[in-house]
Amino acid sequence: MSWWSFERRWLAVIWQTLLPSGTPGGLALGARDVPMDRFLDELLACAPRRVTLGARLCVWLLTFCPLFVIGRPRTFPALAEEERRAVLAKLGQSDVYLVRELPTLFKMLGALGFAGLPAVQAEMGLAVRDSSAPDWAGEPKP
Amino acid sequence: MSGAIVELGDVRDQARVEDAADVVIIGTGAAGATAARVLTEAGLDVVMFEEGAHVRQEQLRSDMWSSFKHVWRDLGFQVASGRAFTPVLQGRCVGGTTTINGAIIHRMPEKIWARWRDEFGLGGALPYPELERIWDVLDRELFVGPAPESVLGKNNSLMRTATERLGIAGNLIRRNVSGCEGSAHCNQGCPTGRRQSMNVSYVPRSVAAGARVYATCPARSLITRRGRAAGVVGQFRDPLTGARGPEVVVHARRAVLLAASAIQTPLFLAKNRIGVGAGVLGKRLQAHPGTAVVGVFDAPVEMYRGATQGYESVHYWDERMKFETVAMPPELAMARLPGLGPELMRELAQYAHLAVWGVQVRAEAHGSVRAGLFGGTHIAYDMTDADIRVLKLGVRRLTEMMFAAGARQVLPGVHGLPHAISSVDELSPLFDAPDDPRLFHTIAAHLFGTALMGGSAFNSVVGPRFETHDLPGLFVIDSSVFPTNMGVNPQHSICALAWLAAERLV
Repeated sequence: MSWWSFERRWLAVIWQTLLPSGTPGGLALGARDVPMDRFLDELLACAPRRVTLGARLCVWLLTFCPLFVIGRPRTFPALAEEERRAVLAKLGQSDVYLVRELPTLFKMLGALGFAGLPAVQAEMGLAVRDSSAPDWAGEPKP
Repeated sequence: MSGAIVELGDVRDQARVEDAADVVIIGTGAAGATAARVLTEAGLDVVMFEEGAHVRQEQLRSDMWSSFKHVWRDLGFQVASGRAFTPVLQGRCVGGTTTINGAIIHRMPEKIWARWRDEFGLGGALPYPELERIWDVLDRELFVGPAPESVLGKNNSLMRTATERLGIAGNLIRRNVSGCEGSAHCNQGCPTGRRQSMNVSYVPRSVAAGARVYATCPARSLITRRGRAAGVVGQFRDPLTGARGPEVVVHARRAVLLAASAIQTPLFLAKNRIGVGAGVLGKRLQAHPGTAVVGVFDAPVEMYRGATQGYESVHYWDERMKFETVAMPPELAMARLPGLGPELMRELAQYAHLAVWGVQVRAEAHGSVRAGLFGGTHIAYDMTDADIRVLKLGVRRLTEMMFAAGARQVLPGVHGLPHAISSVDELSPLFDAPDDPRLFHTIAAHLFGTALMGGSAFNSVVGPRFETHDLPGLFVIDSSVFPTNMGVNPQHSICALAWLAAERLV
C-alpha cells in the first residue's frame, strides 16, 4: 500500500521533530540524516495492514491537530519547530489515553528504523555487532 | 525416513505435497519440539508443521526490525485490546518463542502445582515427581545452569547489588545456554547459537532422528476418519508476502498433537469446530503482564554486554510479582524512554548509562482469543484493579532497588509522574491515582489457559491425558491446557507437560 507523497512528507516532519539532528548533549544524527523514507517503504511493504492503516490515520490526526492542541490554525508541518515540539509534548501529557499514545506510536515506529542503524547505535555508545546497514537502509546517505 | 526441514522455496514447483507419519505435530516451539524429541527417539515417525520460517543463525541480524520481520509473530505488532493496548510477545519461526525469549528456566512452583491438584483435580494426571524426573532430563539436555559470572554484565550485577543492600532474595537466573557469550541479543535470536532454543536443540535432534518439518506452512484443517483425528492439511505460505504455495496433506497413523501456543491453538480448534461446546475455548487467557523501570547511573552500565536476562528476584512471589533484569535493545529502549525531541536525543546519548529491570505480575485477569475480522486475531486482555495495584507496588520496589544500586535518577515510565525522579517519594502520586492500566506501558508474555485441561467436557477442552474431549486422537500439549499462570517463566513447564503427553503416546 503506497502513501501519497504529501503523507510521506508529513510523517518525515513528525519523525524529524521527534528525532532532531545535532542536539547539544544528545545524538548528532537525527531522522533527517538517515534514510527514514526507505524505512517507511519497508514498513508499508511488511507490516500488517491494520498497523499501516492506523499509522496513516494517526499522521492525518497529528497533521491537523494543532488548532485544537495549541490554538494555531496551521498544519503540523507548517508550524515552527518549537511549536511542533509543543504540540507533541502536549499530546504526550494528555489525560486521554489514545491522544497521549499518538506521539508514542510515532516514536515506536521511528525507533525501529532509526535506532536499528549501526551509525546511530555507534553514537549511542553500543558495541555494534553488525556494522552493515539493515537491508532496508541500503547504502547510507553521504 | 530421512529427516528434513522443508520450506516454500523447496517445493514451489509442486502442486501438492503428501506425507504420512505416526504422529503429526502442529508447532515447533517448546511443546511441539519437545514432543518430537520424545516421539522420534522412541522410534515413532513424526511430521511437524510450522507457520514461520526456519531462520538460520547467519540470517540473524542485531537490529530489532530484522528480527521482528523474520522471527517474531506479526512483526512484533501483536497487541491485546482492553482499556490499554498491550503488546503480546510471541515468536513465529522454527523454535517458536524459545528463539526470542530470555532463556529463563524455572520449574513450576509447587504451590502452583498444588493449586492445580486441589482446584482443578490435575494432581493424578500431572504427578509432580514425574515432572521433576523430566525436568532433570531437560536440565541436562538443554544445558540449564545459572548465568555464569563471566557474562553477567553490569545490568545484572547491579540488581544483585540492590538485592544485597535491601536484604531481599535474588539469584542468578538459571538459563538454557551452553557457553553464553553475553551478547545481550536473546530477543533478536541468539547470534551465536549458544542458547538452546528449540531451533538449535530439539528440532534438529528430531530431524536427525527422521522428523520432517514443514516450515512456512501453517496448518489449516484436520483430517478425521471414523471419528478420530487422522491427519492435517496445511499450505505453504510466504510469511512476509503471503504468497501461497502447494497444499500439504499429512496422514497421521496414531495421533495429531496441537502445540501452536495459547493464541493459535484455540483459533485452530475453533476453526475446526472442536472444543467449542464447553464455552471455555479461547476464554480464560492468562498471562504475565509486566512493565520496565529504567535507572540512570553515573558509571556506564553497558547493558549490551552480558546475558540479556541474568539476575532475578522472586522474593515477593507470594505477592504476585517477580523482578528480572532485561537488557533492552536500543530500538525498544527508545520507544520506552519518556522524552520527545531534544530530550529524547539526550536520553539516547546516555543509553550506555541506563539499566533496565522489569516487574512481571502473576495477574488474576482473564482475557480471550478469537478470530478477528479479515483473518486477523483478536486478543482481549485487561488487568484487574488488583493486578494494577500489584504493578504499582512492583514499580515502587524496582525504583527502590534502582536507587539502592546507586542510580542517579529513575525513569518510572508512568503517566502523571515526572519523566525522571530522584527519590522514591516522588512516586507517591501513583498510589493516589486510579488503578488503571493506561498509566503504564505494559507488555504481556507467557500465555496460558485457552484450551483448559479438566475432567469434564462441560468445563474443559482436553482431558487429563491431553486428548480433546470432542475428537479422539487429537491432543493439545501446549500452555493452552494450563489452568492458571505460574508467576515464573513457563518454558520448562511447557516442555515437561509436552514430554509427559508424548511419553503416554509411546
